[in-house]
Amino acid sequence: MSEQTNIDDKLDQLQRAEGPLLEVKDLQVDFTTDDGRAVHAVRDSSFSVYPGQWVAIVGESGSGKSTSAMACLGLLPGTGKVVGGSIKLNGTEISHYTQKEFVNVRGSKMGLVPQDPMSNLNPVWRIGTQVKEALVANNMDVSHEKRSDLAKALANADIEIKSEGDETFLGSKELPELLEAAEQALVGIGVEGDAFTKKMGYFRSEWVPGSETRWRVADDLIKAGVKDDDAWYIAKKYVTGSSMEDRIAGLLDEAGLPDAATRARQYPHEFSGGMRQRALIAIGLACRPELLIADEPTSALDVTVQKKILDHLQDLTDSLGTAVLFITHDLGLAAERAQHIVVMYKGQVVESGPSLEVLQHPQHPYTKRLVAAAPSLASQRIVSVEEHGQDASAIMEHKVNEQSLETADTIIEVSHLTREFKLPRTKDMFKAVDDVSFKVKRGTTLAIVGESGSGKSTVSNMVLKLLEPTSGTVTYNGSDIAQFKGKSLLDFRRHVQPVFQNPYGSLDPMYSIFRSIEEPLRIHKIGDKKSRAARVRELLDLVELPESVMRRYPNELSGGQRQRIAIARAMALNPDVIVCDEAVSALDVLVQDQVLHLLNDLQAKNGLSYLFITHDLAVVRQIADDVVVMQHGKLVEHGTTDEVFLHPQQQYTRDLLDAIPGGKLELGLNLD
Amino acid sequence: MGKYLLRRILQMIPVVLGTTLLVYALVFALPGDPVKAMFGDKPVNESVAAQIRAEYNLDKPFLVQYLLFLKNAFTLDFGNTFSGQPVIDEISRAFPVTIKLALMAFCFEAIFGCVFGVISGLKKGKWYDSVILIVSLLLISVPTFVTGFLGQYFLGVKWSILPVTAGSNPGFFDLLMPAMVLGSVSMAYIIRLARSEVSSNVSLDYVRTARAKGMSNRSVIFRHILRNSMIPVVTYLGQDLGALMGGAMITEQIFNIHGIGFLTYQSILKGEANMVVSVVTLLTLVFVVCNLLVDMLYAALDPRIRYA
Amino acid sequence: MTDINTTLPGQERYVAPLEETPLQTVDTVDESAPATSMWSDAWRTLRRNPLFIISAILIVFIIFVALFPGVFTKTDPNYCTLDDSLEPARPGHPFGFDMQGCDVYARVIYGTRTSLSVGILSTLIVVAVGTLIGAIAGFCGGWIDAVLSRIVDIFMAIPMLLGAIVVLQMFRTVTSIWKVVLVLALFGWVSTARIARGAVLSSKNLEFNTASTALGSTPMRNLFRHILPNSLAPIIVIATTSLGSYIVSEATLSFLGIGLPSTTVSWGGDISNAQSILRTDPMVLFYPSVALAVTVLAFIMMGDAVKDALDPKSRTA
Repeated sequence: MSEQTNIDDKLDQLQRAEGPLLEVKDLQVDFTTDDGRAVHAVRDSSFSVYPGQWVAIVGESGSGKSTSAMACLGLLPGTGKVVGGSIKLNGTEISHYTQKEFVNVRGSKMGLVPQDPMSNLNPVWRIGTQVKEALVANNMDVSHEKRSDLAKALANADIEIKSEGDETFLGSKELPELLEAAEQALVGIGVEGDAFTKKMGYFRSEWVPGSETRWRVADDLIKAGVKDDDAWYIAKKYVTGSSMEDRIAGLLDEAGLPDAATRARQYPHEFSGGMRQRALIAIGLACRPELLIADEPTSALDVTVQKKILDHLQDLTDSLGTAVLFITHDLGLAAERAQHIVVMYKGQVVESGPSLEVLQHPQHPYTKRLVAAAPSLASQRIVSVEEHGQDASAIMEHKVNEQSLETADTIIEVSHLTREFKLPRTKDMFKAVDDVSFKVKRGTTLAIVGESGSGKSTVSNMVLKLLEPTSGTVTYNGSDIAQFKGKSLLDFRRHVQPVFQNPYGSLDPMYSIFRSIEEPLRIHKIGDKKSRAARVRELLDLVELPESVMRRYPNELSGGQRQRIAIARAMALNPDVIVCDEAVSALDVLVQDQVLHLLNDLQAKNGLSYLFITHDLAVVRQIADDVVVMQHGKLVEHGTTDEVFLHPQQQYTRDLLDAIPGGKLELGLNLD
Repeated sequence: MGKYLLRRILQMIPVVLGTTLLVYALVFALPGDPVKAMFGDKPVNESVAAQIRAEYNLDKPFLVQYLLFLKNAFTLDFGNTFSGQPVIDEISRAFPVTIKLALMAFCFEAIFGCVFGVISGLKKGKWYDSVILIVSLLLISVPTFVTGFLGQYFLGVKWSILPVTAGSNPGFFDLLMPAMVLGSVSMAYIIRLARSEVSSNVSLDYVRTARAKGMSNRSVIFRHILRNSMIPVVTYLGQDLGALMGGAMITEQIFNIHGIGFLTYQSILKGEANMVVSVVTLLTLVFVVCNLLVDMLYAALDPRIRYA
Repeated sequence: MTDINTTLPGQERYVAPLEETPLQTVDTVDESAPATSMWSDAWRTLRRNPLFIISAILIVFIIFVALFPGVFTKTDPNYCTLDDSLEPARPGHPFGFDMQGCDVYARVIYGTRTSLSVGILSTLIVVAVGTLIGAIAGFCGGWIDAVLSRIVDIFMAIPMLLGAIVVLQMFRTVTSIWKVVLVLALFGWVSTARIARGAVLSSKNLEFNTASTALGSTPMRNLFRHILPNSLAPIIVIATTSLGSYIVSEATLSFLGIGLPSTTVSWGGDISNAQSILRTDPMVLFYPSVALAVTVLAFIMMGDAVKDALDPKSRTA
């Protein structure tokens, strides 16, 4: 602990002595529209990043957070232009830099980890080649580590670095000889048996060519008991520099990519999203920039992967002394990772300060609103209230309806549901859903939680009878839905309605809002023209949208508004059950909160039952009574929301709960 | 890669069979007597007509005719012309000329199309972009035969830079103008294709990432923008190589080049149905083979295809 | 951590004054803007595109000429006397005379109708047949798609011009323009079918179709109410552009002497007739060529403009 304080003090001193690494003052960024109007995307925004510090910019989409970051890199899209203010990097003004001048600072001084791992790697080049490009572009010495002054200063606390050569990388050619020498050295000092195997195993996993340096090899040997001089002798003899390939593999390994040397020869389409993001992190850090701009680096990934990658990134940047400008929409995540938070709204910084302070005592009404709405914080709040031995129900938006869960009748019952898909070009079958059973009670909400590939959406499609199960049954009000045909199917459709994930895809762009909401009424031949129009008005009122929206088209509405239209459409036939397949996942926090409230209100008013599919466990707390956790097609855990949150039985559920951002935060209880 | 190729070749077989059948059917099975058509406006000589019918197996059922034709085609035996010469001889005399012309046109359209298209796409909105765009629009709108005449009139007659016609055994210089005329429309399409590809690729995420790595503008353009933009352009070019041979008919007619197109056209005028079917079959084969080459190239350029 | 002393200079707590960025209600609908559908949006984009304005004016003018050629000339295009052979322009005959002594101006005017009707009729047939087959292939999938796609491949492998020549040489005695229309349609439907198939396939997988099905809609209803309307844009684009290329093809076939019969007044035929006198009287060839080029240009520009308006991603200008 005291060592840590020591380092913190040292860091603080250094930061004060060096001043801010990046200093943005009164930044203004304009975009020009087609008809020549200027749109102010960022106005009078100021923030700064100190060496070795994580600073988060938080805001919803369109708040100007990414634009501010891109302005620092000189990579504004389209017509974007810095029209005022200053951006200083290490005290040098860069806001007026030409693209040629920016080339000199990009990569080497400022790196980028972009948002969408799917589109940010060029599909036609090997991963390794794309890492290599960064090294070549900045003339990086691939056989020696480039360590920032900060990292050096911090490392000094650990071990004395003797000379420049100590930063030489281990090469793959020398690795076998080095391991042999280490073996002999261990034997020489009398290490044997389990201790020997353990130490050698440790060396094998730690000594990655192109990443491990001479002094660290020496340090490892010394810590294993080898005498200082011997250790340094071995390290100097066998750690003599790495090739380009070694360095690429080393970088990928540092970013947490297993089997990096082989992976480097693969193409992006052979990588999963998480692996691509790791490759992008390797690229962003390849030239050891002093500042890394991470633009929502994990928002496209599963929560557990997100946590792993961010943990890794944090370790890596800490050890390298890299400062990180972290762009995110998640306040909980920002507060958990960064020391300093900048909240942006409509192109302006509305509040900034030390993370916890901002979170515990938000001052600006927008920040207050954000803090109140963030699902990750909400569930955290509940936990911390309970830890203080108070009644949490007062601050819960959705209280588990225990009574209904026990007494109400079952409206949807899924038993032993299994669905197999044939894998393309092979004869193998893939079980997307494997023996899943649960019941939805009338008037309650059952949430299915799982990451991508867990089979949760396949379940929802089978419940909606959009997909036939391979085996198992779904019953609605006691009758097997597989038997429904013609009229009975139409009747089933009338009572079980879906709301899908993508607010941009689920409404026909050619249909006016009126036609979209009216469609179910027309399909089921309900009412005449006049009564249908009246019903559409009623429904719009139900989802709190003005009547005038009727004449509009989906492209004119925001994601949240479209989702409310989709809910209105689903409500048109007075259904019993609504299946929400990731219905709020694509929405900004505040909008998400609004839609969740709407769903809760509708349930209270109309006694609806929900089957709520989501990847976000945090949201579950705000809406569900019952939770089913799925992984790889199997049901992992099933219980009431309180049980699952308070006493998770399975490791996977615990991992999911841990991955909710903000888990380590101590939140204040006074939210006024 | 091997599996992918095999699949493509297997897919090619029904296309080749279907296409030859279609061509054969169009010539010999459409309502109207093909033998009568051979005589054109002249009165039909019944004894000659009967002889022709027998020679081309026209007295047998249609499918048998087609199978016999296929069998012969495998041995490159396409029968004889009216004057008694083997069809294959005439074709092999004319083919090299057309190949030369098509290849020259191909190089012309590929080089100029890509260069202008890429410049245009990178400098969207500049004055030369507009000029290139307008010229390409004009080239697409003006039919090849009009371009040909304009070329003949200005380059040939008025300014006497290039020969007006090519003749029976043309050299590189003789074929220069015909090749430019033949390639002009495709060049315009390539310009437009390359331009839209490049200009949409410029703002892609991975291009931004490449810039963020600190790569110079030049290497970003070459390694990321051009490499990816060229994939659809190469596809177009490959398909066009086959089409150029077929399209050479007009150009060869205008410039009096004794190639495949010229031969086909003369055969049509003379009513040599046999020759027409043979040539069209051959050209179709060329087209299909070019498509296969494109697929291979495509797989080489785009790793996603290779493993699909 | 929250100790104020550890805050670094420039990172002190900051709260923006409320009046600077007044808080807005979450997710309100902008009721001030007029309601616009995709089509009215496209129309607005079109109206601002100079390419569209120029091509629209040209096309309206060309259609007018085709419908009322008598307004532009009183001369009969088929009244030719060898006395006038290759006479230069004179009052009432602004473009002079061709080899047969026909009035070039009158023939250019009357040729408009031929070119335009062939272009429009072929396009109509191609769009109808191509969309039908493409939509069936895309919508049904499975073996129907496989068979139809192979048929499309087969037609694709035959160059349009060669195919047309093969067929047309059989029907040299037929004089109706329908033979050219049908032949162009026979070899032209495939590209439209391909595009229609692609469009149907991509809109078939959109979520609103699944949503409709879950609301109780039948697959057929989905096809006609959702999938087809959403596939129209690319079909309209290819139809406009193809119209121009069919006009070129007709002219090319007539130029080769196997398209329209010589009795029909057509630009292609006139250009063909004029090629032998290129060296001496280039203007006889020039006028129908210009008319042809301008007409085709108008339709291709229109196609570009429509494409820009309907598919904002592929802006060419």
